[in-house]
Amino acid sequence: MYFSVSIAYLILIAYGLYGVYTVEATLHVKEAALAKPENKIAIAHTEIFGKLERPQVIFDHGKHEEALKTEGCNACHPADGEALKFAFPKNIKKTGKTALMKAYHDECIDCHKKKNNESKKSGPVTCANCHAKENAALKIKYPAFEFDFSVHDKHVKKLKEKLGKDDCGQCHHTYDINEEDETLALVYEKGTEESCYYCHELGKKRGPELTAITKVAAKKGLSIRKVSHQQCLNCHLKYKEEYLKKGEKEACPTECSKCHAGKYKTVAELEKIPRPDRDQKEKPFINIKDAKLKGVTFDHKYHETSSKTCRSCHHETLKACNECHSLTGKPEGNGINLANAYHQVFSEHSCTGCHNKKKEAKECAGCHYNIKPMDVETMNPKTDTCGRCHTGQKDKLSAPAISSGAVDKIKKDVEIKVLEKEFEPSKFPHQEIIRKLIKISNDSKMAAYFHGNVQTLCDGCHHQSASGAEAQKDTPPNCKNCHMTAYDRQHLNKTKLLSAYHRQCLGCHEKMELKKGRKCTECHKVKAGGPAEMTQSKNDHVVKQNKNNILNVWKPE
Amino acid sequence: MDRRNFLKIMGSGVASATAGNLLAPGKSVANEGQTAKEFNGILVDTTRCIGCRRCEKACAEVNGLPIPDISESANENTLKTTRKTSDTQYTIINRYETEKGPIYVPKRCMHCNQPGCVAACLVKAMRKRPSAHVTWDVNCIGCRLCMVSCPFDIPKFEYNKAMPRIQKCNLCYDRYNKGELPGCVEVCPTQALMFGSRRQILEEGKRRIAANPDKYVNHIYGEYEVGGTSHLYLSAVPFPQIGFRTDLGTVPYPEYSTGFLFAVPFVFVLWPIVMLGINRATKKDGEEKHEEKHEEKGKH
Repeated sequence: MYFSVSIAYLILIAYGLYGVYTVEATLHVKEAALAKPENKIAIAHTEIFGKLERPQVIFDHGKHEEALKTEGCNACHPADGEALKFAFPKNIKKTGKTALMKAYHDECIDCHKKKNNESKKSGPVTCANCHAKENAALKIKYPAFEFDFSVHDKHVKKLKEKLGKDDCGQCHHTYDINEEDETLALVYEKGTEESCYYCHELGKKRGPELTAITKVAAKKGLSIRKVSHQQCLNCHLKYKEEYLKKGEKEACPTECSKCHAGKYKTVAELEKIPRPDRDQKEKPFINIKDAKLKGVTFDHKYHETSSKTCRSCHHETLKACNECHSLTGKPEGNGINLANAYHQVFSEHSCTGCHNKKKEAKECAGCHYNIKPMDVETMNPKTDTCGRCHTGQKDKLSAPAISSGAVDKIKKDVEIKVLEKEFEPSKFPHQEIIRKLIKISNDSKMAAYFHGNVQTLCDGCHHQSASGAEAQKDTPPNCKNCHMTAYDRQHLNKTKLLSAYHRQCLGCHEKMELKKGRKCTECHKVKAGGPAEMTQSKNDHVVKQNKNNILNVWKPE
Repeated sequence: MDRRNFLKIMGSGVASATAGNLLAPGKSVANEGQTAKEFNGILVDTTRCIGCRRCEKACAEVNGLPIPDISESANENTLKTTRKTSDTQYTIINRYETEKGPIYVPKRCMHCNQPGCVAACLVKAMRKRPSAHVTWDVNCIGCRLCMVSCPFDIPKFEYNKAMPRIQKCNLCYDRYNKGELPGCVEVCPTQALMFGSRRQILEEGKRRIAANPDKYVNHIYGEYEVGGTSHLYLSAVPFPQIGFRTDLGTVPYPEYSTGFLFAVPFVFVLWPIVMLGINRATKKDGEEKHEEKHEEKGKH
């Protein structure tokens, strides 16, 4: 009996030991990203090879370019007619792990050997020299290149200079899905230029029309990465020599790091750059038939300069919104009706969505963090709010600056004495704040347009005022009129006066990232003889229930 | 035996010598708390707290404790360290530096729905009131079992006193009976603390999370922790980052011991009797046994 039990234990122990010794040693190397890739490319193909048997290869493209200058790019890259295909290896017939590995090894090593035989400077031919251990965890990722309006503009001008006419067809094309002959499907037609991303950004969810085209692109493996290299580099290589002769070294870059520099321009930097002309209207009047609200004059030209790409609004094609989105919604627009296409709060492409995003800026957030975005909880928005855009008049886009003339009549300083038993009254620079708000509002075109008048700015603090129904229209309600000092047990979410002050003031200062007015003493100067003083001098166990008690300080007597 | 009876027996002289202002016997008022129909609680919104420490001061005033210095310079110094409640500080505010900036967290007794301290107390000095207050009575024998049993490290012992007692926040039980708010809630300038029935504050907490999904983490600390507590916390960052334990589970602490304690009478009292009974039932008389042995011998 004991014998068999001990045998069983021994077997278990042996099994455990076997387990311990055969655990696969996992590589605990921290992945290191290369800050400056310097034209190097990591070759791993983990999507095909899975777990690598040997460390990945860090391929120095720059060095090869230098060494193979005379042979040219087609020493390594296959050509399709005149155009090069930036793929490697050149001769790969079969798919699969071994075929790919063999193709790589054959082409790399053969060339290296050949150069060696010619007694020229050559690369390694043994395994570990390419599959170097120290490169195992290296990550090479080039920052995406942004073909922004300034680059676009440069290309337009240079090409016009070279070709003598506008020929957008050099880069732009459209794909005719109904064309049966594949070779004729790619066509260029003036006025239909669009972004490459629409068709070539694979894997992004698109509408029904575009999905049909992206499916074809996916089938051919024409990702944005592949096509942009093919399109850009072929043209650059073609004209590079010409420009080098002219002495323009910077023109037609072909090195990785020249385009993938990780430098991006801001909207403000691009503001002066002319936008591509595609016969778009400057100020279209959007007036939808049978719509409930009046038409909107939309300043398209201004919005062009206030965003980086056309795609930020025109998310699928460069068509007008109402071509896919109808009043009741249709399948082309994924069933999203026009009202939502324009007003969806959390969309990046709708008017309201983008405007809400803008309100997150620190200048705006002070007031707007407290104001719920339209459409979410506003059941009955003020008529004024809708009427700002829905004017029903063509070319009515005037946004007069708010004049600070009437501000002088407004109360200059407000003294808040709620805690006056403990602290000196808090001084609130009422007029100064209004002036500052007017300045912020007038500085931004959007703010000026939507605020319209001083009353709107008042609403930032004097929220929930129903100016239409108020007895005295020009005096917004006091905080005290709504926020009481007592604690309402039935309605816990009702804000007490003290809390209303603190949260309104501190919340705004925090959101606007103001350095002023964040500490207690900046508003509350300690009063001589008050309870705050008392605590510092007297620190014993007995507390007299006197008027200095902190619990009594702000209770009305 | 409730506190009143106890004090009657002890006599007012002894009582006033031992009981502090906290449980002053003479001022015993109509016990509203005894007839409460649901638990009360405090909703603590850590996103609203500005770290002014007025609650600490109010607490000290209400309970007759040394009054802390809450001037700005003192605050800056005090908040540098993460403190614990003590026998003279029933509530404290700690500051935690997080990715969303400094977050101030008031800490005090959580007033669990099923408190471990009450279950642990040998003399029923700790009591859970129907109004959710976990209070402490003077018949404490100083065994400090409540300190061990508390998952939040709240009950504190007056080690440096001749007549040491356990001290902790009692959710201003006396003030509650008078119809007043707890001192800290009343004085909070930003309404970071909100007193109401547990149902109400839970509802309000959930409303706030639903209305500001990107401001709060979707969790109310104390809703289910250790079977639910009367202090509920809202936070903008995950709770471990602001000093909360998330390994406590949702089982009320007394439940860990009830199974065992149920078995104690059986094991120590009934078990011997049962065994004895079995013994008696199976054992034959001495004579029979003797005969049996004889017979067996005979067989051999």
